[in-house]
Amino acid sequence: MASADSDTQPTEAIPHAVKIIVAGGFGAGKTTLVSSVSEIAPLSTEELMTEASYGVDDLGGIEDKTTTTVALDFGRITISDDIVLYLFGTPGQDRFWFMWEELAEGALGSVILADTRRLDTCFHAVDFFERRNLPFVVAVNRFEGATAYSEEEVREALDVSASVPVVMADARERMSSKEVLVELVSHVLRSRQAALSG
Amino acid sequence: MSAERHRRHDRNEPGHDREFPQILGAHEDEEERFLRPYAVDAGVAGPDAAGPRGRRGAEQLEMLSLVVAARTPGRHEWLRPERETILMHAQRARTVVELAAEVRLPLGQVRAIAGEMLADGSLQHCGPTRPLGHSDILHAVLVGLRSL
Ligand SMILES: Nc1nc2c(ncn2[C@@H]2O[C@H](COP(=O)(O)OP(=O)(O)OP(=O)(O)O)[C@@H](O)[C@H]2O)c(=O)[nH]1
Ligand SMILES: [Mg+2]
Repeated sequence: MASADSDTQPTEAIPHAVKIIVAGGFGAGKTTLVSSVSEIAPLSTEELMTEASYGVDDLGGIEDKTTTTVALDFGRITISDDIVLYLFGTPGQDRFWFMWEELAEGALGSVILADTRRLDTCFHAVDFFERRNLPFVVAVNRFEGATAYSEEEVREALDVSASVPVVMADARERMSSKEVLVELVSHVLRSRQAALSG
Repeated sequence: MSAERHRRHDRNEPGHDREFPQILGAHEDEEERFLRPYAVDAGVAGPDAAGPRGRRGAEQLEMLSLVVAARTPGRHEWLRPERETILMHAQRARTVVELAAEVRLPLGQVRAIAGEMLADGSLQHCGPTRPLGHSDILHAVLVGLRSL
């Protein structure tokens, strides 16, 4: 397929595409975190889903379908010529769980954003990643007007293992979001080392 | 802090988990409620989606699968603008999810069309130029993030 004129193009290295998931409850700051560290304005695509209504068994299957779209926002960080890191926020609506499955597949790890005004909204994310043995860190996103809880209080409420980092963050601040990601990847490396030597 | 997570594991607790039962493993019910058109119909979501072309041989692509155009857009595309657009955007290697964002089509649709285009040779899969192990990648990502 190589032709004379295609040789004039410099051959670029094709990078490894890896991903980190940014999860958390509705409005916890997922999109904000992705935007603050991404090198590009977050990209967006959507997934279509057919939503079948309940109670149509008598009709012999799915009779009543509507199509719903799920927005998927993601950012990108070029690590080197060989590696590009993608950051995917989980869809805001909880019912789109199937997207979580695919997002988590092959991910390096996950950041779970905890909003202390409604900490319970991240419980399902904690459950989800624990069950899949996908390493995660908890980033406590401090909103104005929210009671300031200590790391220990959050850790206790979330009931996460002592090895899971719980860090304070401000998703709007690039450096803060970067620190969260650094914490996550360090944690992933520590977990791997523990697994290899244990 | 009133809520504590371990309560969520008590599946008999009234009213608990209404919003997110599936994460705790109750997948069956939900699968009846939400069907992904492209997964279900092997790439055909309806008349305005990929259409019934080239279903056989279409492969399921991951979001981060890398594809590259194997040729430039030609006369084959004159009635298939979405293919032409995909070919133009894939002149350099692209992940499927980025391609979807760039061509402004739903991910599932791009997956389906790209799968057909792989099957008919318009697109090619590509792997990373330099092989790297998982550890190498993690270390490099850590260094890269630290220097942001
Ligand atoms: N004070 C404060 N506000 C924040 C912070 N992070 C996000 N916000 C604000 O909270 C709101 C919601 O943030 P998003 O990033 O859209 O939250 P999300 O998790 O993506 O929301 P959904 O996708 O709808 O679930 C926005 O108005 C943000 O500006 C933070 O660290 N501190
Ligand atoms: Mg969002």
